[in-house]
Amino acid sequence: MPDDDRGRERKAVSFSHPWALLLGLLAVIPWLLSGQKKLGYSSIARLPEDRLSVWIDRGLRLLAAMAVLLLALGIAGPHLREQWVEKLGTGAQIALLVDHSSSMNENFSGAYLGGKANESKSALAAKLLVEFVDRRRDDLFALVAFSAAPIYVLPLTQDREAVRAGVQALGGRGHGITNIAPGLAMALDYFKGQPLTGSRIVLLVSDGGARMEEETGDQIRQLFQDVQASLYWIYLRNPKGGRLSVAPKNPNESATPEYFLHRYFQTLGVAYQAYEADDPQTLQQAIAAVEKLENRPLHYREKLPRRDMSSYCYGLALSCLLVLLVFQSLEVKAWNG
Amino acid sequence: MKRSVYRYLLVVDITQSMNARDYHRTGLPADRLGFVKVSIRQALHDLPCGSELGLGLFTTHHTQLLLEPLEICQHFSLLDDTLEHIDWRMAWAADSHIAHGLYSGLREAARRGKETRLAFFSDGQQFPPEPEAPSFDGKPGEVGGVIVGVGGSQPVPIPRLDRENRPQGFWESVDLRDYLPASAMPGQKEGSAYYLSHLDESALRGLAAGTGLGYHRLETPEGLVRALMAKDLAAERMVATDFSGMLALLALFFLLLTRLPRLPGRK
Repeated sequence: MPDDDRGRERKAVSFSHPWALLLGLLAVIPWLLSGQKKLGYSSIARLPEDRLSVWIDRGLRLLAAMAVLLLALGIAGPHLREQWVEKLGTGAQIALLVDHSSSMNENFSGAYLGGKANESKSALAAKLLVEFVDRRRDDLFALVAFSAAPIYVLPLTQDREAVRAGVQALGGRGHGITNIAPGLAMALDYFKGQPLTGSRIVLLVSDGGARMEEETGDQIRQLFQDVQASLYWIYLRNPKGGRLSVAPKNPNESATPEYFLHRYFQTLGVAYQAYEADDPQTLQQAIAAVEKLENRPLHYREKLPRRDMSSYCYGLALSCLLVLLVFQSLEVKAWNG
Repeated sequence: MKRSVYRYLLVVDITQSMNARDYHRTGLPADRLGFVKVSIRQALHDLPCGSELGLGLFTTHHTQLLLEPLEICQHFSLLDDTLEHIDWRMAWAADSHIAHGLYSGLREAARRGKETRLAFFSDGQQFPPEPEAPSFDGKPGEVGGVIVGVGGSQPVPIPRLDRENRPQGFWESVDLRDYLPASAMPGQKEGSAYYLSHLDESALRGLAAGTGLGYHRLETPEGLVRALMAKDLAAERMVATDFSGMLALLALFFLLLTRLPRLPGRK
């Protein structure tokens, strides 16, 4: 049956077809009419009044009336609304911040791949992140894609299917340049106003850094400290690109922004960890390393889907009817005495 | 039981001309992008459960997906949230080559299965203007769907907003002189130095004809829902249908039947 309420009202129990409750009025019929065969008897007035029979008769009528009521109730489709329950797990609130700039269309050797880019950094990162999301059962995920500007995809949620849909969508072609700072700000913004429970992680997946203004850097440092989030950076390194830990020969922020970004992240004042990945295997290892970290007790709310209760009504109605059936079979069909 | 459901990739033009305000319906946003979002929300409400919607953005030459198609009833609140946050500032560049964007949207839809349709929302405002649309190298009609024309026929100025969305006046042709051909520069129309935008229906209809898509002009959210629910765009799916209500109704009927007074039994 179509489910059209989609959370517009807030009641514990509601009905899919409230009109069917009116059918419950029909319950007066079995109360008034017994449905037993009338047997002719010459002098009924002479029969002694049998209290037991009277009670049994009332009981049977009541049963039939109840069966009608329960059937009507069942047809009305009672269900418990979706409910939120508090749960305690071990896990984290993870904001995925995924680079979707055009350089992510290349593969790890730096070669540009055409239309069918199964091995592009984007596609590979998306695939491994989907697996990661699937394994982390208790975590909440949020998703930001970024290139020149941050793109809000999903807020912190437990809806795995949606997270998967968002991450998979990032497997396609990326466009634009890499601009990390606004993306970080957006990712951190997800944590604002959320209860501080479990650990908070920004998981940055990017193949390059970008120059950051000092002022922007200060704002982001403040944000990190305000929301108490730690940062993991999975750096998809082009083999020709610089290593994060090795200072370049001629330090120059526009030639090797990654190195400077790494240095800046170390000054954030929150837990920070960088993983370099320069081929699919090391990328997988980096994700596995992140996975081992950060399991703290996490309070979260889980949405229980709505529960249909009409089958209970039908079950009860059935038992009433069975009792009636038994008595019906005992009924005297004809008076031979 | 078989039921008609829909599977759409909704791709929204987020270039700046979509900030132009030429919708005038009480209670609904005036800007094109806002009106598109309200209309898509209506579709989220009204399409039958079991339908799937994916969301994507268009600017420059490309379509970028935000979400793969998701079932709309189960994921309503998240789809709604993502939709709500679609913003012109997500653009990775400012140009608008609609034909290219449309073709890349069609490729994305084709990659997502035969029953995935494309709904492409745009005002048809090409920027920088191009004399001729590039030709479509796919097979027209292979991916079904509809181009949704957004905006009004009267040219209106395009608001110029800063990164905080504060209005900074309107785009003037002078601001864009490096990108515009001399013919588009002011002078032919005295006094109006604004760079104007209107719904370029002929361009969009041309693209629709070339790609085998339908064309719908966005005027009301309800109209969009009707256009999306066109019969030829539906997919037949087996949907679990619950018959228990019917059966219970029958049971109720028979139970009451047994209660009716019967003729006295014969001796």
